[in-house]
Amino acid sequence: MNSIKITLFKYMSLCLSVVFLGACAGPGYGPIVEDLSVQARASQRIPLATNNVLGNETNPSATDTQPRKPVELQKPKPYVVPKAKVTITPQSSPSKVVVAPTEKNIEVVIKQEEALPPSDQAVVEQLLSNADSLKGQGKMAEAVIQLQRAQRIAPREPKVYARLSALQLSLGEAARAEQLALKGLTLVPNKKRYQYYFWKLIAASRSHLGNSKGEAEAIIQADKYK
Amino acid sequence: MSKNRATSKSKPNAPEKWFSWVWLFKLATVLLVLGVVTLIYLDAQIRHRFEGHRWSLPAKVYARPLELYKGQQLAVGQLDYELTQLGYRFVQSATDTGQVQKTNQGMIIHSRGFRFTDGAEQGHLVEVILQKNKVTQLRQISGAAIASLRLEPQLVGGIYPSHNEDRELIQLNDLPNGFIETLLMVEDRDYYSHYGVSPWGIARAMWANIKAAAVVQGGSTLTQQLVKNFYLTDQQTLWRKLIEAPMALLLNVHYSKEEVLEVYLNEVFLGQAGKRAIHGFGLASRFYFGQPLNEIKLHQVALLVGLVKGPSYYNPHRHPQRATKRRNLVLSVLAQQGVISDVQKTQYQALPLDLSKAKQVSRYPAYMDVVRRQLQQHYPASALSNQGLRIFTSLDPWVQHQAHIAMVEQIDALNQRHGKIPTLEGAIVVSHRGSGELLALVGDHDGGYAGHNWALDTSRQVGSLLKPVIHLAALESGQYNLATLINDESIALPQPDGSVWQPQNYDRRSHGKVPMYKALTKSYNQANVRLGLQVGLEKVLQQLSEMGIEQSIPAYPSVLLGAVEISPMQVNQIYQTIAGNGFYSPLSIVRQVTKANGQLLSIFPLIVRQAASNDAVYLLQHEMRLVANEGTARGVYRFLPKQQKVAAKTGTTNDQRDSWFAGFSGQHVATVWLGREDLKPTPLTGASGALNVWGQLMQHLSYTPYEDIKPETVGYYYVNRATGVVIPNGCPDGIDLPMVNATAPPINTNCGY
Repeated sequence: MNSIKITLFKYMSLCLSVVFLGACAGPGYGPIVEDLSVQARASQRIPLATNNVLGNETNPSATDTQPRKPVELQKPKPYVVPKAKVTITPQSSPSKVVVAPTEKNIEVVIKQEEALPPSDQAVVEQLLSNADSLKGQGKMAEAVIQLQRAQRIAPREPKVYARLSALQLSLGEAARAEQLALKGLTLVPNKKRYQYYFWKLIAASRSHLGNSKGEAEAIIQADKYK
Repeated sequence: MSKNRATSKSKPNAPEKWFSWVWLFKLATVLLVLGVVTLIYLDAQIRHRFEGHRWSLPAKVYARPLELYKGQQLAVGQLDYELTQLGYRFVQSATDTGQVQKTNQGMIIHSRGFRFTDGAEQGHLVEVILQKNKVTQLRQISGAAIASLRLEPQLVGGIYPSHNEDRELIQLNDLPNGFIETLLMVEDRDYYSHYGVSPWGIARAMWANIKAAAVVQGGSTLTQQLVKNFYLTDQQTLWRKLIEAPMALLLNVHYSKEEVLEVYLNEVFLGQAGKRAIHGFGLASRFYFGQPLNEIKLHQVALLVGLVKGPSYYNPHRHPQRATKRRNLVLSVLAQQGVISDVQKTQYQALPLDLSKAKQVSRYPAYMDVVRRQLQQHYPASALSNQGLRIFTSLDPWVQHQAHIAMVEQIDALNQRHGKIPTLEGAIVVSHRGSGELLALVGDHDGGYAGHNWALDTSRQVGSLLKPVIHLAALESGQYNLATLINDESIALPQPDGSVWQPQNYDRRSHGKVPMYKALTKSYNQANVRLGLQVGLEKVLQQLSEMGIEQSIPAYPSVLLGAVEISPMQVNQIYQTIAGNGFYSPLSIVRQVTKANGQLLSIFPLIVRQAASNDAVYLLQHEMRLVANEGTARGVYRFLPKQQKVAAKTGTTNDQRDSWFAGFSGQHVATVWLGREDLKPTPLTGASGALNVWGQLMQHLSYTPYEDIKPETVGYYYVNRATGVVIPNGCPDGIDLPMVNATAPPINTNCGY
């Protein structure tokens, strides 16, 4: 009996060692192209695998003469779209998003936009109407994309800025909305309807931002074009 | 190997008398257990890899899609170029997707469609009618209305995992006609009937090879090939040999033929492009033909299938004859087996290889560099290199192409004119005037080397490029108009260290009192230093910071003449704000990021921030147009038609170490820098160096006539060029200048003298 036990034990350990050996062979299981020289050259070109992946100080160059961030290109952080639903989470604090008194104000302003004359480019009108329907479906990010397409095609079309500003305002991004409306204003000298509407947007944005003095000024301006 | 060890280990424990049935039984048990354990282990391996995260997929970086719509102005040759880069084929009659047919009036394009971030766009058959490169009409052949046609965006690069494997995943229904037949006929005829290994196949392959006196067919099944590539290393070890067949059998047991085939199609290695390994037929089709797999024709299918046997030996770029021979052999096999007729075989064999005409190497190293840097701020490296993210950038392939050419050709011309200028480097930054999107980036003198990025990583003194900022600060103060007289007498300023700074004009002369606009068009140093000091150094620096320059700049008067180090990218940011009618927009690169499945992860919204008043910027823009019309930048009209309005400024630093040119047209803002790597003087001024690059670039970009929108507060006044006095029309030596009505001086009836 004893010897059987011992032999059994022997066999088992043998088997285990085989399993172990098999596992040792494991690291060999990998993708076919694993040329390390290639990898080293690649990392020269592509400074991806550096430590400062998330930081701003990604500067691979030793001869850099700039004391600060090498790429001060994109200050705004991206909108992060949550996993399931594609809705825009504004990057600023969410508390700013819902401010009851201005909601109505925004609605009123946005409704007034319907009176604006159409763009003379068919493609722009098409994109604006796409944006409207996407917005209606709650696809805010997609709506923004449509409006920015329109803005690239027609950077001097005031209606595009009007929509962009109104959309940002309804998303609670009042500071952005105000600036977009200010830019829109520079495109519409002597166009009263637009001037009125942009000043109304500015007023609503400033109200949203708690800038009551600025809001009052914008209302006075708007009234000039009523 | 392990089995050997097992038997040898049992030997010392096996004296002669142990030789018996018991011994045999024990040995058999050991082997059985070993076999079972190995199988279980292999089984786990197979299932783990097959069902898990199969491949690390590099992030794909896309250029902007070309959008065609009525009224759009294209550049000469642009549409042909972009379609070629996308792998469209120019044919007599566009019947399939990916084809273009030239017509008398324009082109008929059969577009492919693409899953964009804002929704899928179907392929369309559309006629684009062009007049002088302007799209005058867009209509679907079906008659249905179409407002715009978005071509698919060009894939311009990837962010590769460390092993540099790249692939474009495909499914069985992406395969073109005849693909499966060809593949199976050449690589594994019994695929649908064998159990993962095929002794019969080996025998037949051997026979076929003997008959043909060449290796026509391989003996291992597709399943075995997949096991080899997918699970095993490339080393020829005994262990590998031993487990290949069992693994193939297991794979066959667990998964359907279709599943295994699909993985095979995506795994197989089909070529090498520098560091990048081309895997799978999807990417191989793009790589060799520039076309999606579903578009390729049988002769192309035959080439790809033929490549399986030896992608480098049959490399069609390097060995076209070998590749053609191999392809034709594959076509012969198809004919022998009755897949195609002999006539078809002859027709296909007569066709060229049809390799892509688009350039294959990464053409945009500097741009890709900036894409990576931006993404690294938002995503971890692992997410970028293995999750197949789709990155949509604003890169404009046409602008990038032209910028590259302008740099290379003009540097060549400068070297010829001045004798070789050693270590001459350069950078170009181009952005979209309306949005601030970065369209193109050239990071060195030939635009091809992915080394030091001179557009981003080098800050050099900018010379006169800051003079417009002085003028903007002055106009913003409300105390100046374009005709205000500025003293250009020499000026000496004691420095904190006791020395005296005495800037001089380029021509080393003083010009007395000059109207402000002339101080800019002639780039007088003395007048501009005086103007800057009158306005206030702090105000000028404040204005600069409003325009997007964040670095802290010491408030020395020499800063007024550009004694401050700024990168070409940042210079372009300053000019973007001027071009953007006083609204700062950060130069942006990425538009959207999605997951591999198309789910939107991030969008980068348009940001504008007012940095200067509308009327002040309007006046400055006018001044800068005069710089191009009659000032230091007038050389651009050697490249551009007279009626094309551009606003610009030259910049030259001490001893001509740096040659700068920055400015904008109706659509584009561009900055060019040239200088020596070793900081030594060059024979170049801004006007004799960087201007040429800028001029050639703008000459080849699309151009829409663009009138700036005059603010209500501004009017035009006729002014005496010498004295800056407003004069009646009809007086000699006058010029029309815009002024803010409230600050305009009264008319002088003596014609200003």
